[in-house]
Amino acid sequence: MSAPRSARHLWGYRALFLALSAGVMISKMLPLSLGATGLPGPDLLLALTLAWLLRQPALVPLGSILVVFLLADFLFQRPPGLWTLLVVLASESLRRRRLTMTEFTFFLEWSAFTGAVFALILLERLVLWLLMVDLAPLGLSLAHAIVTAAIYPIVVAVSKFLFGLRKIGAAQAEA
Amino acid sequence: MARDPNDQSYARPIRSLLVTVVVLALLALVLVWRIDNPRVERMRAAIIDRVVPNLEWALAPVTGMARMIDDFQSYTRLYEQNEELRRELQQMRAWREAALQLEQENARLLDLNRVRLDPELTFVTGIVMADAGSPFRRSVLINVGARDGILDGWATMDGLGVVGRISGVGDQTSRVLLLTDANSRIPVTIQPSGQQALLMGDNTQAPMLDFIEAPEDISAGDRIVTSGDDGLFPPGLLVGQVVETTDRMLRARLAADMARLNFLRVMRSHPGTTLADPGALIGPPWPPPEGFVQGSGQRRPGVAPITRPEQGGDLSQGGVLR
Repeated sequence: MSAPRSARHLWGYRALFLALSAGVMISKMLPLSLGATGLPGPDLLLALTLAWLLRQPALVPLGSILVVFLLADFLFQRPPGLWTLLVVLASESLRRRRLTMTEFTFFLEWSAFTGAVFALILLERLVLWLLMVDLAPLGLSLAHAIVTAAIYPIVVAVSKFLFGLRKIGAAQAEA
Repeated sequence: MARDPNDQSYARPIRSLLVTVVVLALLALVLVWRIDNPRVERMRAAIIDRVVPNLEWALAPVTGMARMIDDFQSYTRLYEQNEELRRELQQMRAWREAALQLEQENARLLDLNRVRLDPELTFVTGIVMADAGSPFRRSVLINVGARDGILDGWATMDGLGVVGRISGVGDQTSRVLLLTDANSRIPVTIQPSGQQALLMGDNTQAPMLDFIEAPEDISAGDRIVTSGDDGLFPPGLLVGQVVETTDRMLRARLAADMARLNFLRVMRSHPGTTLADPGALIGPPWPPPEGFVQGSGQRRPGVAPITRPEQGGDLSQGGVLR
């Protein structure tokens, strides 16, 4: 990434992230999946956000996360702000952890993502339980987490080969 | 040294401060939602109202395309479907005959009874715009709202059976919480045994029936209708049929086609009857209080006093009855 290209590159990818998020949300809102029950679908929005965050942290600034997830909270009938809050916390912790790592293999990346997803879902359940809100069945939540973790390689592959999003090292992430 | 963009020592604390502020603000939002739920839900309805109609140009073609693909897939099974339809048509002819006879009988009986069907049960029809659901929420958005006089809690049906109830009304859109949602509970009556039960959505296609007094009186195939006990739903709307699962649980197969919701009717319900006073005692009239002197001792209670003495002659015929 040379210096003059980097600014355009950065903003282009940021806009692409917002567009992709909007696409995911619209596709979830289409009245097509009414009959589908059983296994809950993966949280594509979360997978996309954290995948891009782990690969190039600068592409997913705090503002983007805030806008996308708050809108999703309001549209998808979730407690407004709670999921956004947890995703912001997770993204900050992943960002910080990313800086300290020198070696960052895909396996490590995937396990970091999986850990974050499970932590997020359990924390959400804990907070909802504390607020005395009705909880979805635990089995469904865990299935949701597993499916989301399983979708991660696909999201990464699509980002890499379709959008040319390459992983940058810790040294470049710092700059 | 002063303003080096690569120097992180200034940026770090500012960033962590920003994150803290954001986190606190979001936490406040969650708490406000928990404490003052109706206001935040109104806000949510307003946001959906703003966002979803803008998406209609994107939603309509994609939805149409997907339905076309769906229909195209069914071409491949055309022969089997044809055979199946023939068989069903044969059965339907028999049913049609029965229905015609019943209709005539019903008309005769209604005429005998002079029944006036409920004139207040009218409906507003809306089109499903979007399915704003997460894996754990079963709800759809329809394109009628407060502008059309929709109120929270009204029953929503497709052509055949109950689909759900209105939960959240924006100006031009409103949300229908489907019966399959895990938060949906409606009181129902199971015919013909007449037992009351609660239909509880649990995120599956067939909601559960619970709180039944005598499950042994219920068999698979019994009709489920709304009971109207909640004061929101009109009584007698068709919900579905009882099915028994392998683990001997009673569930409802919904009459509405939940997989293909397109036009929905929102039933204008009456405001439910409320019990304002405990009600008076029903019994014989109390004796008059002490010291009360009645005008004429012989008069029977309930008989109107005779006011015009000149008509005393025909008193025996019409005076008392008048």
